[in-house]
Amino acid sequence: MAKKQTTGKIDRKLARWGLVFVAPAIAFFAVFSFYPISMALYTSLFKKNLLSLKKPDFVGLKNYIYLLKSADFWNSVEATFVFALGTFLPLLIISLMLAAFIMNISKARRFFQMAYYTPAVISSVVSAAIWLLIFDPRGLGNQWVNAIMNTPGIDHRWLANSITVRISTMVVYFWKYIGYFVIIFISGLANIPHSLYEAAKIDGSSAWNMFWRITFPLLRPTVVLVSIMSMLQCLKTFSTQYLFTQSGAPQAPINVITLNIYNTGIRDFRIGRASAMSIILFAIMLFFTWLQFSTSKSDEVSY
Amino acid sequence: MNFNTTLREKSAKIVIYAILTVFVIFTIAPLVFMITASFMPSKEIVKMPYRWIPTTLHWPNFYKAIAGNDGRFMFPRNILNSIIVAGAVTITTVLLACMTGYGLAKFRFRGRTVLFLMIMATMMIPFEAIMIPLYLVTTKIGLQNSYGGLIIPFMVNAFGVFMMRQYLITFPDEFIEAARIDGMGELRIFWSIIFPNSMPTIATLSILAFRAQWDNLLWPLLVVQSEKMKTIPLYIVKFTAEKHSDEGAMMAIALLASIPMFILFFALSEYFIGGSAVFSSRKG
Repeated sequence: MAKKQTTGKIDRKLARWGLVFVAPAIAFFAVFSFYPISMALYTSLFKKNLLSLKKPDFVGLKNYIYLLKSADFWNSVEATFVFALGTFLPLLIISLMLAAFIMNISKARRFFQMAYYTPAVISSVVSAAIWLLIFDPRGLGNQWVNAIMNTPGIDHRWLANSITVRISTMVVYFWKYIGYFVIIFISGLANIPHSLYEAAKIDGSSAWNMFWRITFPLLRPTVVLVSIMSMLQCLKTFSTQYLFTQSGAPQAPINVITLNIYNTGIRDFRIGRASAMSIILFAIMLFFTWLQFSTSKSDEVSY
Repeated sequence: MNFNTTLREKSAKIVIYAILTVFVIFTIAPLVFMITASFMPSKEIVKMPYRWIPTTLHWPNFYKAIAGNDGRFMFPRNILNSIIVAGAVTITTVLLACMTGYGLAKFRFRGRTVLFLMIMATMMIPFEAIMIPLYLVTTKIGLQNSYGGLIIPFMVNAFGVFMMRQYLITFPDEFIEAARIDGMGELRIFWSIIFPNSMPTIATLSILAFRAQWDNLLWPLLVVQSEKMKTIPLYIVKFTAEKHSDEGAMMAIALLASIPMFILFFALSEYFIGGSAVFSSRKG
């Protein structure tokens, strides 16, 4: 009995220490995550201007209604989704392909991984600046594409036309993140037991068959995870679009939601409307996170 | 028959190597372009076809990169700001994430699961959605244009806590128990047993945190107004957006801003790669 009391006392003391270790971070998240997101929700219900000293008017859902009717906002939603899909689908397919290839060779594996990964090391602003010069009318972009397509002397107007400027932003992103996803897929592939392939080889399966029957199903959780992660990442894209528009590219085709939030809130001082946009972006991302959880639950793999 | 299959295998190998090499050219060529262009006068950079080997080393690019178009030499100060901010965020992230991860992994207390789930929930809140309220608060308490304003909102992140917790769950309890029996205090146990034994995870986390801040454009764009407090991404944006900016100098800035990251990468590449591989193993 006495012993139980002392252990109880020790347990309580340890429980307190646990709280001590956790408390600073909890306080931090309360102040820098939960408070601002509730403030964003609250502010989105007001007509608030950053410069005006007037007390903000409560307008209910009017900011949301305004946005849902605004062509400019829908343009941003479109720009964001076009960018996200146009970036993440090629990223997913090509990085999976490259990872599968790397796993199939014996020499220079490390070299290829490092070479693909290097662009991810430099910052997004630097990558956007490099590609800005490559997409110059006299730059490497035209030279390469003309060499491949055998169309000498044609200017593809990378940063001038609404379709090409979208493609240009996708290329920058694709270039920067391809190695990142190759690495993720390689570690996913490395987790698949080698014995499965050996068994299949004995049974006479072709490499193509082995990929679709063994690799792909077992890699599915990684594929789902990578898709959602890259989708979320693409929905938040900002730096490339910002630098491109600052350097004179047309804004409308690449006016992604984050850029629109920044311009509405910080340049035009419409805090209420910008907050409503933030909440919509948050809702979209929540949806994709939920999608990840609901698909990954049924994805427990056993070898 | 046998001869045919080996031939087919061989040609498949060649095709694989060829495709892999094409993508190496795609990922590496822009970087080589950045390095060579930074040594060329701008006339040569936009010349068709591009000459990959600079004929002369055009050093004025680097002078212009550091002096800026206005000749105010803000570059050294701005790169120092980036180092201070990214360094400070790295230190606080590692300390707080390790502490919190330890608390969540090795102590039993009421509400532990709820607190853990709350922290995980913040991962779903994109920074872009909370930046405006954060900006309003930061200006209200007078932290705009200061290191505090740049550092404090990023002191720790949920992913870091998650990483440390996952790592520390596997840490053997016996070590901690033995230290307690020896009469070591809880803080000392953390500082001299837990922290030093988490080094590989801490290194990975440090690199993630440092890179994120080195890369951060959006938040400094909001809170920094003066040239003196700008970080490197802001300096690059300003230089590129200015009308008569020199292309060679632009690439010189890009190169100078990337050198610290390249050095880190080549010295610690396994931790860079470890950081991305974390995502592929959800178990544990």
